[in-house]
Amino acid sequence: MKQHPLCTDTEHGPTILDLPIDNGLKHEWAELQTRRHFLGRAGKVMGWAALASLGSGEAVMGLVREPQQRSAPLPSPETLRLPNFAPRAQRAIYLFMSGGPPQMDLFDYKPKLAALFDTDMPDSVRGAQRLTGMSSGQSRFPIAPSHWGFKQYGKQGAWISDLLPYTGKMADDIAIIRSTNTDAINHEPAIMLMNTGNMNTGKPCLGSWLSYGLGSMNNNLPTFMVMMTKKNEEENNQPTSSRLWSSGFLSSEHAGVSLRSAGDPVLYLNNPQGVDGAVRRKMLDAVSEINRQTYEELGDPETHSRIAQYEMAYRMQTSVPELTDLSKEPKTTWDLYGPDARVPGTFAYNCLMARRMAERGVRFTQIYKRGWDVHTHAVGLLPMLCGETDRGAYALVTDLKQRGLLDDTLVVWSGEFGRTVYSQGGITKEDYGRDHHPRCFTTWMAGGGVKPGITFGETDDFSYNVVKDSVPVRDFNATILHCLGIDHNKLTFKAQGLDQKLTGTTPAKVVDELLI
Amino acid sequence: MSSVTQVGPQTSQENESVQPASTRSKWMLVCVSAFLLLALLWAFAPDGQAHASWQQFLGRFHPLAVHLPIGLLLLVPVLEIGGRFRPSLREAAGFVLVCAAVCSIGAVVLGMLLAHGGGFAKEAVRGHMWAGLILTIAVITCTFLRSSWITGRSSFLYPVVLLAVLALTAWTGHQGGALTYGKTYLTEFAPAFIKQLEPHKTYPPVDPVSVYVTRIQPILDSNCITCHSGAKVKGGLQLDTYAHLMDGGSSGEVIAASHPEKSLLFTRITLPAEHPKFMPSEGKPPLTAKDIAWIRAWVQQGASPSSTTLVGMELKPAHIDDPIPQVGDYSGLTSQIEQIESSLGIKLDRVSAKPADGLVLRTIGVSQKFDDADLAKLEPLAPYIVDAELGHTKVTDNSFATLAKMPHLRAIHLEETSIDGRNIKQLTGLAELRYLNLSSTRVTKQALSDIAPLKTLQHIYSYNTPAAPVPVP
Repeated sequence: MKQHPLCTDTEHGPTILDLPIDNGLKHEWAELQTRRHFLGRAGKVMGWAALASLGSGEAVMGLVREPQQRSAPLPSPETLRLPNFAPRAQRAIYLFMSGGPPQMDLFDYKPKLAALFDTDMPDSVRGAQRLTGMSSGQSRFPIAPSHWGFKQYGKQGAWISDLLPYTGKMADDIAIIRSTNTDAINHEPAIMLMNTGNMNTGKPCLGSWLSYGLGSMNNNLPTFMVMMTKKNEEENNQPTSSRLWSSGFLSSEHAGVSLRSAGDPVLYLNNPQGVDGAVRRKMLDAVSEINRQTYEELGDPETHSRIAQYEMAYRMQTSVPELTDLSKEPKTTWDLYGPDARVPGTFAYNCLMARRMAERGVRFTQIYKRGWDVHTHAVGLLPMLCGETDRGAYALVTDLKQRGLLDDTLVVWSGEFGRTVYSQGGITKEDYGRDHHPRCFTTWMAGGGVKPGITFGETDDFSYNVVKDSVPVRDFNATILHCLGIDHNKLTFKAQGLDQKLTGTTPAKVVDELLI
Repeated sequence: MSSVTQVGPQTSQENESVQPASTRSKWMLVCVSAFLLLALLWAFAPDGQAHASWQQFLGRFHPLAVHLPIGLLLLVPVLEIGGRFRPSLREAAGFVLVCAAVCSIGAVVLGMLLAHGGGFAKEAVRGHMWAGLILTIAVITCTFLRSSWITGRSSFLYPVVLLAVLALTAWTGHQGGALTYGKTYLTEFAPAFIKQLEPHKTYPPVDPVSVYVTRIQPILDSNCITCHSGAKVKGGLQLDTYAHLMDGGSSGEVIAASHPEKSLLFTRITLPAEHPKFMPSEGKPPLTAKDIAWIRAWVQQGASPSSTTLVGMELKPAHIDDPIPQVGDYSGLTSQIEQIESSLGIKLDRVSAKPADGLVLRTIGVSQKFDDADLAKLEPLAPYIVDAELGHTKVTDNSFATLAKMPHLRAIHLEETSIDGRNIKQLTGLAELRYLNLSSTRVTKQALSDIAPLKTLQHIYSYNTPAAPVPVP
């Protein structure tokens, strides 16, 4: 019998009653169904009828007749034709130093500053720059030379602070970029800009773009994983949150999956008591079937994401315990990463996990370490921060290298901005603080097609302005995408009337000098 | 016919008495008007700079006004010849000629305003201007010659000058048309046999690795050709090929080799952005300083189509990855690939959007069960696999035989497998293999020496194996 187009809800298809679930549940459903069904469906039919009489009836009928055509096929690596060219890196690991590490205390060696201790920074250096509210009221801007010495490391003699002896050991494997610079001076916009290419919340982050553009290498683990480092209460911890690994307007299956730093890495991953794998599977099949019906009814692509996420969670029940089981790691691993690595949630532990994720085909891993926001007491805090991160980062790069994974794994180390050469608040021989500084900061990259053992970019004598080879955030991100085989102008998604991309609307360029 | 020929002499007889004085004053008039026109030229010399906008406003009526004297001039010979049969037509000819002279003067004045006000200075404009001036003076001369021709005193001067005027009209008109529509406008869609007659400038051949091809044409391609090639040829200028570039446009040649400051192509892109003549026009983004520097250096150093170096410019090649060997096109095998993927639970990812870059075999999702037999099932796709990621799987040394059948393998991952490398010799036939990962396997020193003959191998990893005792960090 041919149905009226407004009555598609009465079509015969598989119903809940056909599903492989308990009869009791079916009964319960049937009871609920009668009232809910009547009210819900009746309301909808009335709505359609009203809409049809208001506007062009045919348009509505068209909608009703072809529900499957309501949503256009979603873009995928297939339709995007990615990678655009053969990539150097298959995957990337991003060590995010949240808070803004002070470049002149770690990498940007400025020996001339020693003689200028506690003298006023020349106005010409700062120019007309607006400072943050935290130091703009200061009557003077006393220069604070770094408290620590620097040594040259590696074949090219890269200058690295005594705070980072392990990083010094891998100087020949990393490309230090001293001329990175950003447009934002405060944490939230700066960290968003770094991660999403836009200061406003709501855009997809780098990992989501990679997941969307390149897809998964291992269906049993998320494409994009995030690990938080346990917070050190003595440090000034700026908050981080899931908006930093959000998929923005991309489908939510591209959002980062964050592992907890203590306890179960993923909550509720284990089956509850009395539920075995077979029951869980049966339940998921039923949920998936219901979701599929909802999708057919409403055509909302987010329903697909939901189905995919249930399936991923199910597979993670076996893959995550295997991933986090460090019992088979040889002694050499612990010798390399240090004793910290045995404690879940430490930076070293996360670095070891990142290596294991790289081995298991996770496309993008991001490790956050907070606490770099050293407005005060930098002399006390920096040895702590460096002690927590230096060895882990070195161990990760070295481990990837010896295992032959650094060839196709890109490692990135970066904060969201740098810090001022002048001291925030007072300055003594023993201590100083540093405010946010967007005009220059130091980052490094390693592996995955990046030229090893180079130092790129120069700042002025005050580590305040870039004087050579500026690398704005958009170029930094364009270069990361290039290593992964992506032309940053071609990885786009239409949203809000714009072909959105990670590098934004200001023209960006790949920094060729950093590439092999 | 004989009666008609008498008309001239009869009229002349009537005017005989006044002739000497009026002739002199007429010639004075010709000289004065010629002098005035030349003075105009001096006042409104086209010097290459734009002037008052009222000049341009009036000047832009030149293309409109110019057609009136042309029409009138063409009518004169018709009337003169027709006058042989109908005398009334001949009487009209004199009047029409005077009208043509007056209109010519008007058109010339407007033309000068256009050239002066609009800042035209090129050869083509000068040529057109001089031709127009001479034509106007010739027309004025004609009006006076005609009266003596009517009286029969000089029987050949007037027809000769009139003929010259007509020829000059055609020539000047053509020049003007070329200025407005471009040199190639007339002949663009001409049949081949006409095109052959067209004089063709020949240029030296373009070298595919020259600075022109690698640096200059790309700048033109991304900034200029939307308005200067194909269907849209603004200003008669096409910038899509070297020959078109050198041909120039309505305003003449745009490249003066070795003289960027005299090259329109260069001067127009370096004007202030708000200048009406600035290029790219219509608010399109200006060229970058780098692009401009390239164009300047290239023109300065001869605008050559074949030179591969430019003094003072760093010719850093665009970033090109090592060329990777190409494999066959697998795009026809999509269904077979998908079928193998789903039956084995593996992934066969393309290296890039270009099928010739090959496929990557990923087994990490099924590493717990992927074994030699599974690998053997991939044989139909052997020619397309360039990267075999078999780490953490159950493959054994028996798999080397299958791997050896994949001629385009560039990378093999065998880390964390149980192989010991006894059959590794079989890989020595893989001429493109560059990367071999044997970390955390049972591979021996003997196996490493077995693989040594493979000279293409750049990276071999044997961390945590009997072959390489683990270094203590």
